[in-house]
Amino acid sequence: MLKPILLVEDNPRDLELTLVALERSQLANEVIVLRDGADALDYLLRRNGYAERDDGNPAVLLLDLKLPKVDGLEVLKAVRETPELRSIPTVMLTSSREEPDLLRAYELGVNAYVVKPVEFKEFVTAISDLGIFWAVLNEPPPGSLRLTRRGNN
Amino acid sequence: MTTAHTAFDQAVERCAQEPIQVPGSIQPQGFMLVLDEQDLCVLQASENAERWLGAAAPELLGRTFAELISDSFDLRAQMQYLPVDEVFPFHIGDVELRQPSPDCSHMRVLVHRHDQVLITEFEPIRTASGPSGHGDYYPLVRAFVGSVLKVSCIVELLQQSVLQIKRITGFGRVKAYRFDAEGNGEVLAEVADPGYPSYLGLCFPASDIPRQARELYRVNRIRVIEDANYIASPLYPHSNPRTGKPLDMSYAALRAVSPVHLQYMRNMGTLASTSLSIVVDGKLWGLISCHHDQPHAVDLPTRTACELLASVLSLQIESREAHTGTQTMLDMRQRIVRMLASMADHDSVSAGLNALPQVLLDFASATGAAIISAERCDLIGVTPPAAQVNALVHWLSQQDAESVFSSDNVRRDIQDLPELAKHVGGVLAVAISQIHSHYLVWFRPEQVRTVNWAGRPEKAISAAGSLNPRHSFERWQEDVGGYCEPWDPLIIEGVAELRIAVLGIVLRKAEELAQLAGELRQSNKELEAFSYSVSHDLRAPLRHIAGYTELLTEVESENFSERGQRFLKHIEEAAHFAGTLVDNLLNFSQMGRSALRMSDVDLNALVETIRNELAPDFAGRTIIWDVEKLPKVIADPAFINLALHNLIANAIKYTRGREPARIEIRAKQHPHETEIYIRDNGVGFDMAYANKLFGVFQRLHRMEDFEGTGIGLASVRRIIERHDGRVWADGEINQGASFHFALPRHSSNT
Repeated sequence: MLKPILLVEDNPRDLELTLVALERSQLANEVIVLRDGADALDYLLRRNGYAERDDGNPAVLLLDLKLPKVDGLEVLKAVRETPELRSIPTVMLTSSREEPDLLRAYELGVNAYVVKPVEFKEFVTAISDLGIFWAVLNEPPPGSLRLTRRGNN
Repeated sequence: MTTAHTAFDQAVERCAQEPIQVPGSIQPQGFMLVLDEQDLCVLQASENAERWLGAAAPELLGRTFAELISDSFDLRAQMQYLPVDEVFPFHIGDVELRQPSPDCSHMRVLVHRHDQVLITEFEPIRTASGPSGHGDYYPLVRAFVGSVLKVSCIVELLQQSVLQIKRITGFGRVKAYRFDAEGNGEVLAEVADPGYPSYLGLCFPASDIPRQARELYRVNRIRVIEDANYIASPLYPHSNPRTGKPLDMSYAALRAVSPVHLQYMRNMGTLASTSLSIVVDGKLWGLISCHHDQPHAVDLPTRTACELLASVLSLQIESREAHTGTQTMLDMRQRIVRMLASMADHDSVSAGLNALPQVLLDFASATGAAIISAERCDLIGVTPPAAQVNALVHWLSQQDAESVFSSDNVRRDIQDLPELAKHVGGVLAVAISQIHSHYLVWFRPEQVRTVNWAGRPEKAISAAGSLNPRHSFERWQEDVGGYCEPWDPLIIEGVAELRIAVLGIVLRKAEELAQLAGELRQSNKELEAFSYSVSHDLRAPLRHIAGYTELLTEVESENFSERGQRFLKHIEEAAHFAGTLVDNLLNFSQMGRSALRMSDVDLNALVETIRNELAPDFAGRTIIWDVEKLPKVIADPAFINLALHNLIANAIKYTRGREPARIEIRAKQHPHETEIYIRDNGVGFDMAYANKLFGVFQRLHRMEDFEGTGIGLASVRRIIERHDGRVWADGEINQGASFHFALPRHSSNT
């Protein structure tokens, strides 16, 4: 069983486009979508609504920088401060090129940082590179299959 | 003064030590009794009193005024006419002597309080021989006052004065002279009877009148010597019993003078003299000196009239000098105001002064000036070469910072810079800001002037080292070089005023700059916030438009008409362009904010990389590249790469359609900067728009002809300016263009 990709994105259009991009990258992993930082922490820490979820961490955490309630950097910080979560590969997705964000994310131990390009093709390339690297290449599950994924229901 | 005293200096100093105010004796034309003011008894008497009183001086001691002189003259009663604060001999009345002497029966009594005693002086009343006949000089004085009001210049004033004084006193020659700063006296006016040598225009050296004599002239405005061959009459006893010292005769009319002076008079052929002091602002300004080749008496009314004339003259000179001073000050202030206004207009001290070169020169009555600031040295009028002005500024910077520096002889005063004296005589300088080495300097040329001395100025020195007055007063010429016209103290004061005013402006500017910097910081913060929100909020929708359009094209393309597909393509391109625009703008704003990371940059390698990167843009075209060996520069490699990238991309873009296109990249080394330029044979531009080229969003071409966001050249300028360099461009429509940038050269060790 492949570990899922956890995508935290509040903007519905970015979400849709990201999912298309992930779909095109032909990754086999399931994509779990959450819409804000608080939800993401609940999921990761198996609290509240997610207390009963299957255990195990996602293969990769794709985190938008600006999120409602708890923003991306705070989620990242919590992940890095929690021993069980610390090893989750985390990628920041953002529109921002602003240095303070970039520096802060690196200080908090982000694994990669992607400025979402305007060009959709570039975006697809960037997302699939990320997915392949972190979800597949990083932890190649034995005998894994390539499945064609339909989008998130 | 100099430590190496010459024998002459020592002799002059010895002369100045002579206690001339306590000579111990008097001139013999009258006699002196020193009284105790309480009992009016005699404490000291001049030995010649015997001639009038019939008793030797020792016999006079202890006796009262009344018993010695006259019963009818009540001294105590007359004393009430003596003003309490009067210090000069005051004529309190005339007495008839008990025993008339052969030449006179009546004597004038002059008294003054000094040295704790009452000094009474007696002088014979002579029949008046002056033009007024009866000693009534009022009409003369009135006429004199009337006449001096009409004359315009000081020399004329002096000429009027000597004429009047000669008329009143009957002296053979009367001359007036003025002392210069060193104390040399120049004869400015003279009237002389036939047979008297003329001294008009001649200079009497300062050593002629020793220091203590000058001081006596200053406090006691008249001195009479009736006969240079007189035999002085000593006081008996020698010392004033109240003080135990010889009597201080500073104010006494009969005071005996220095034997050196009597010798000086005899050498000059003068047997009688009267000197009247001209005192201006409490300083000895000059003297009127009257000479006669024979002994010549000047009686009291005449002396009083002369004193009055001299006082009127002094006041006139004082008021004229004050007036001239006020006028000078007023002119100077007007010039200061003009210069300040100009500095404010130009927003710069240097530029403001440079705009008014004549005012700056006139301000100090100078022929040349220099304005030195941290960046530049502007020369106005006749000045030494810039290198020497800079050396002078360096020298000045080691002197006292606060005060105005002035020299009317740079050879003597600035011995470290001997070259300077070849160009100028005098320098006036003031530091506006020493930290920034900001100076104003004025120059005056050397003026060789000829001084006509009344005899060689050195007095002969006797074997004993004392001073012997010279025998010859023949004109003796000396050329005095190395000096410029002396700087008027008012000008020096004015320069100090200018400095304070300019400092005010500089300070205000500094405050404005500080405030501006604060506002700039604030607006920079706002700009950061703005670009952050642009980057976040604007990029997202653009991304969505681009993304969905592409998806739509992919998924639904077969359902669209050809026209519809074209529209889709336009939407996609527009979104893409807008995205690029936003990205470029963000880059551009970041360029102004991020720190430069300087290092050695190999421009040839950069150009090569950029050409490879841009290769797809000119695929299929013929471009003749002419890239010279470029020098290494010290710069931020990423930024310089971006600037070169923009310029080369432009050259490729704007030569589109040229077969072949030519792109030349060359460098020129200048003393202070390295210039790089990129020349092409493309469409060029109209030089009328050259100033717009480097502005943000400035485009000179239609989008259909040449695409672009209008940020490229603005970025180039920002990058180069951040390196303290400059950018410019040359071009002509359809004749190609060249874009230049110049980076400051750093010394090899940085």
